[in-house]
Amino acid sequence: MLLASVAAFSQTADIHASSDKCAACHDEISKSFEKNPHHVLDTDKHLGHATLACEACHGPGAKHADSLAASDIRNPGKMTPDEQNKLCLTCHRNERTALGPIADGHAKDGPGCVGCHSIHGTDHRPLVVTKAADVNQLCSGCHQSVWADFQRPYKHRLPEGAMSCVDCHNPHGSHMQEMMRASFANEPGCFRCHGEMRGPFTYEHAPVRLEGCAACHEPHGSANPRMLTRHEVRFVCLECHSNLPMPPASTAQKTLGGVPPAFHDLRSPRYQNCTVCHVKVHGSYVNGALLR
Amino acid sequence: MRNLLLITLLTIAAAAQNPTPPATPAAQDQSTPATSAPPASAAADSSNAAAATSDSPISGSIELGYRFVQGPLGNADVYRSTVDLSQGPRLIGLDFTVQPFKPLFDRLEVHASSWGGDPYNTARLEAEKRGIYRLTVDYRNMAYFDFLPSFANPAASAGSLLTESSFDTRTRTSDVELEVVPGRWISPYVEWSRDSWFGDGITDFTETPNNYPVSNSISDSTDTFRGGVQMQLPRVHLVLEEGGTTFRDDQGVSDTTPTNGDYPGLYFGEQLNLSNLSELYRARGSSLFTRALLASNPLSWLSVSGQFYYANPSLTTNYSSLANGNLFLPATFAFYNSGSDIATSDAQMPHTSGSLTAEARPTRRLRIEEYWSTDRLHDATSSLLMEEYLTTGSQFLTTNPDADRLVLNDNEQQIEFFYDLLPNLTVHGGERYEWGDATVRSTPLSDFPLESTSLSRNTGLGGASFRWRQHLRASADFEAASGSKAYFRTSLHNYWKLHSRAQWDFLTGWRLAGDFFELNNHNPDPSLNLNFVSRAESASLSWLPNNGRNVSVLIEYTRSNVNSNILYLDPGTLGTALSAYLENGNTATALIDLAPKAMHGFAPRFSFGGSLFTSAGSRPTDYYQPTARLSVPLAKGVLWNSEWRWYSLAERLYAFEDFRSNQLMLSLRYTR
Repeated sequence: MLLASVAAFSQTADIHASSDKCAACHDEISKSFEKNPHHVLDTDKHLGHATLACEACHGPGAKHADSLAASDIRNPGKMTPDEQNKLCLTCHRNERTALGPIADGHAKDGPGCVGCHSIHGTDHRPLVVTKAADVNQLCSGCHQSVWADFQRPYKHRLPEGAMSCVDCHNPHGSHMQEMMRASFANEPGCFRCHGEMRGPFTYEHAPVRLEGCAACHEPHGSANPRMLTRHEVRFVCLECHSNLPMPPASTAQKTLGGVPPAFHDLRSPRYQNCTVCHVKVHGSYVNGALLR
Repeated sequence: MRNLLLITLLTIAAAAQNPTPPATPAAQDQSTPATSAPPASAAADSSNAAAATSDSPISGSIELGYRFVQGPLGNADVYRSTVDLSQGPRLIGLDFTVQPFKPLFDRLEVHASSWGGDPYNTARLEAEKRGIYRLTVDYRNMAYFDFLPSFANPAASAGSLLTESSFDTRTRTSDVELEVVPGRWISPYVEWSRDSWFGDGITDFTETPNNYPVSNSISDSTDTFRGGVQMQLPRVHLVLEEGGTTFRDDQGVSDTTPTNGDYPGLYFGEQLNLSNLSELYRARGSSLFTRALLASNPLSWLSVSGQFYYANPSLTTNYSSLANGNLFLPATFAFYNSGSDIATSDAQMPHTSGSLTAEARPTRRLRIEEYWSTDRLHDATSSLLMEEYLTTGSQFLTTNPDADRLVLNDNEQQIEFFYDLLPNLTVHGGERYEWGDATVRSTPLSDFPLESTSLSRNTGLGGASFRWRQHLRASADFEAASGSKAYFRTSLHNYWKLHSRAQWDFLTGWRLAGDFFELNNHNPDPSLNLNFVSRAESASLSWLPNNGRNVSVLIEYTRSNVNSNILYLDPGTLGTALSAYLENGNTATALIDLAPKAMHGFAPRFSFGGSLFTSAGSRPTDYYQPTARLSVPLAKGVLWNSEWRWYSLAERLYAFEDFRSNQLMLSLRYTR
């Protein structure tokens, strides 16, 4: 048994080259890698890759070191996103950023980890740009039509570099729709900055809870004031508030949102701007009609 | 002379700060490791930094400048609501890294931008001692000004440009996060964050049938504390987190200026008016929340992850108001001179969410993903409102206890199969089922206190992704559902959605990319007849010869279309009317960067571009932001930058909101 173990060890040793051997040819990468967080693989025996940091990702390198052929070594940069992810997630399965749900694009057939994270090229801990303007530039490379929305007059302040895409979205995945970042555990990330709309209110406005802010707002950018989905406030409201009262036990499928009282004469400009009176449209502490 | 000065300044047009990133291809090649293709500007910065690198313990750059602003011509309030850049000296950017200082840190970085009067000030500090701690501090201070005459303005048709919903405020967010022994098998972390919103504005006080614009003072803040531990065991990774929030809202509405409000003319022969008002909100909230994340690889072909979240926010409110004037009380159908309200309320909203994901790879080519989630939210509130109204010689007093509920139970289950049809072609397909129910307060006309509805939606999923070496990458995702039950009239019913992307590196340094998205939603219910289409098509071209060292060209064009038609009930007549919304938008962005080879040590860099947005339809809008910049090295590590920008907004239906502004920023950047 002892002999078998020794034989297995020597076989393992045979297929690996060690980081020192890699450095002989890839000296530029090797030098910069010393500042890289992954360098800890070389130095920390507990992580199981001591002196084999390069091969932790690139696989056994002895054959490549002998032949110098690119085909004899694994290149994660040329792997499919799914293969890349599988490789990285061997160690990074459970970052606090929470990767898991498949309901989002990046985990499905997105760019893969190295599409955004530069494994060799930076000493930044997350191995990715962190300044807001740089993050936005990275994301907009693929999400072009989204970035186009930010060129509209009413938008969140991303083009100015005051915010970044990852302030609102979690690129690693989220249990919320559209990879929305969650705040306070399981509430929409919007409340992270717009805390006054978080509630719980004495009188809630149901769409805020049921469908989120995007039910009425275009969060990336809009030509309509307040980033609304419609050019006039009344249409945002009346497209939902157009149901006649129905008993709760009605068998017919109904939707929420009843028609406003009949004294709302839409010919008057006062009633064309619902939020003139319904100032607490996101939820009210004291008034069921959201008037104060 | 003035034109001469302008021309002179324009000829030295240069950029003081990194340009607003247009919708360009990513700074990094998405198909190869992310450092392979820096844009020209990034290359310039790094070469400049490299040129100035020294053995100094501090390296980085600082950029100071002065912005000249012409105008704005046109509506200054709308300019402030959208651009808000003003004239004066600025700290444009500060970025420095401190070399390892052994006892304290291995790395310390500080970034700051737009200080000294700009509307968006940011600062960030990152410090790390490898294996010991990692500290991140982030601060942002943003102006939040909003005064748009076309919004919430009952008197717009009479020529008034006074919106009755506006504010001049700031939002501040601060985050401090400390991670201890990062990278070890067990790593604790703590975080504190605070966001606040404060300032002044105009809001409305409504007393049926009138409403009165009044001064508003906004002041609220949320503090969040959380701490947890991250554990990485051989086959199980686990994160446990506990946190809490405190919230306060001290809004005050007061006005002593008499006003007749927006009601036109007399009401039952009397002039309604408000002579003074005082409204005070005092809301206090708190919450505890829990988060647990688990990921495991129990078998080589199976991985499982689960997430659990629980929060229980509660809020207590005390509200008081005192209004004097000649006001009308519908409950008694009488006028009153003085009215006061006192209200107190409590709200509690336990909120539980969870999800479970399993990923199986039964064969080398096949991957199966199963996802299940639930989200349960129950908001229960109670309140007591006491109202007292005084008229000449009489008093009217009421006490109104009330309670409200909002219940949401949402669930989702999804299964999807991924199959590698060819080494470079993966197809996937599956099914998603969403179901749930919601109960909310009924509308005023209903005889029932609560109303309920349910959600049921079966969605088919499909798609493919294709790669050809490193040159071509394309993907498409499609989903469709029919006959859904949904919460709202505008929710997805019979819909399909397609999103496809392609990226083609057709020659060295050249990339062509395209993006197509369409959402088509239809509800044939005769009371709705909803037809909604949202479409966006983007194409971009980038040319970065020699990794963009001397020339880079990034051009993008997006055409978008939103076309929505839905029937609604006119609340005045209960007759059917059509809400039609149309927007055909065109957006073009470009950034052309030219850096000819240095001659006699002189290596200027010139770039120009910007963005243009124009739309037609329900609210035709033109918004232009062209820019040009020139950077000239003056000495080793010293760069003279200047940047010209033009902002122009034109609203064809609301011409009173138009503005234009010319801006020139001159600055010096020092790098070492």
